[in-house]
Amino acid sequence: MTFARRAFIVVWKDLLVERRSKETLNALLFFSLLLLFLFQFALGSDRERLTSALPGLLWLGFILSGLLALGRTFIAERENDCWDALLLTPGDKSAIYLGKLAGNLLLMLAVEAILVGLFVVFLNLDIARALPGLALVAGLGTLGLASVGTLFAAMTAHVRARELLFPVLLLPIQIPVLLGAVKATEAILLGEPLGAVAHWLKLLTAADVIYLTVGVLTFDAILEG
Amino acid sequence: MSRLLGWLTAAGLVAGIVMGFGVAPREVTQGNVQRIMYLHVPSVWVAYLAFTVVFVASIVYLARRAEAADRIAHASAEVGVLFTAVTIASGSIWGKPTWGTWWTWDARLTSVAILFVMYLGYLLLRGMIEDRERAARYSAVLGIIAALDLPLIHFSVYWWRTLHQPPSIVKPGAATMPSVILAALLVNFAAFTLLYAYFLHTRVRLLRREQEAMA
Amino acid sequence: MIPDNWGFVLAAYSLAAIVLGGYWRRLVRRDRELARAERSHAVPTAGQPRSAPASRTPLE
Repeated sequence: MTFARRAFIVVWKDLLVERRSKETLNALLFFSLLLLFLFQFALGSDRERLTSALPGLLWLGFILSGLLALGRTFIAERENDCWDALLLTPGDKSAIYLGKLAGNLLLMLAVEAILVGLFVVFLNLDIARALPGLALVAGLGTLGLASVGTLFAAMTAHVRARELLFPVLLLPIQIPVLLGAVKATEAILLGEPLGAVAHWLKLLTAADVIYLTVGVLTFDAILEG
Repeated sequence: MSRLLGWLTAAGLVAGIVMGFGVAPREVTQGNVQRIMYLHVPSVWVAYLAFTVVFVASIVYLARRAEAADRIAHASAEVGVLFTAVTIASGSIWGKPTWGTWWTWDARLTSVAILFVMYLGYLLLRGMIEDRERAARYSAVLGIIAALDLPLIHFSVYWWRTLHQPPSIVKPGAATMPSVILAALLVNFAAFTLLYAYFLHTRVRLLRREQEAMA
Repeated sequence: MIPDNWGFVLAAYSLAAIVLGGYWRRLVRRDRELARAERSHAVPTAGQPRSAPASRTPLE
């Protein structure tokens, strides 16, 4: 069984489970809606203020829902006593990492798209021209979040107080991604060309490459026992 | 060996104080409060040194599973967090009279604050895993990612603080420093590096004895 | 003239001394505790009085 096929099977299995139960996606969508309400209530109904804070709010929303999604990466294996099955998988276990990563990416990107849609509706925004750039930044940033997040989810799966340790470990590492994504999003929403934020895009890409490489190389060591 | 190192460290620290307070002149623009620099800058240097050692030791551990490498990583992270705390505190205290505020999101302070939280997390992770072998493996992975994150943090924070043009060089050109001040700084660099080496050596030996006692 | 703010200098250096000195003291304390534990582990085997080897017969 090839590496790619093994990775694909992991994604496929998770997608099937999700399609049947729909619990994660539904809960995350509901959570996104609640976040929007939270931001509105916390910052007041001044639409100007919310719109000017939009890049930060968007990424806060992405990160908060992303933390929830990523934290649950291995919950099925843990709760159903399948962890040992993961350990016994023959061959390179980083196929599992990539499979889980792909699943997380799909989930997070779906939630992010919905969240953007909600913001557009509630704040009456017109971001049609910014969409391609926004999609690019969201893709790069989410890949950064998910690549480290999936790795750390495996790391904290068996630690006590994992719900606390997981964000505590992940968030400081993600600050460059957050900064880059927010700054790039800000520029794009203001209508600036992508070239103006080339340095941020390069930083995000570099981060993604670094995190992915480390993830693939070290996942075996995490999963040893 | 450690006794010699201890005495060298003490001598170095004394020399550092003498240079920083006796030999170095009163600075023109800031007055004597600038002398905090002889504490603040060597501390941040040692912090980065410590975390580089964590990085290398983590890689060695994952490659060879040598317990000594794990002990070095653990000890270096501890000492590194210590010096990071000293960096932040001294930077804040220096900032109050010179910038008028205890805290500002200037590039260096922000980077060091992120550094602090990252490696505090490293120590937290170690503390929360009982199995020693698993703790070693997991913290090695964290140590590698955290260290690789450092250049990303450096650039992103620096660009975040400079509003428009991203700089094409790593750091803005440092204004040339009078040689006396530079000399005092270098002596303190050496003294703090010795202190780091002394702490590291002592802590690693303690870790080995603790592990042997529990075996 | 620019004020000297020696108070701040003192505060910074004292804080550093307390933090670094405190860590050093913790290391010394751990060292002593470990030495005590190691000694108490070593004593039982080393302290038992035994008869001289030459005077012992195989059947004793």
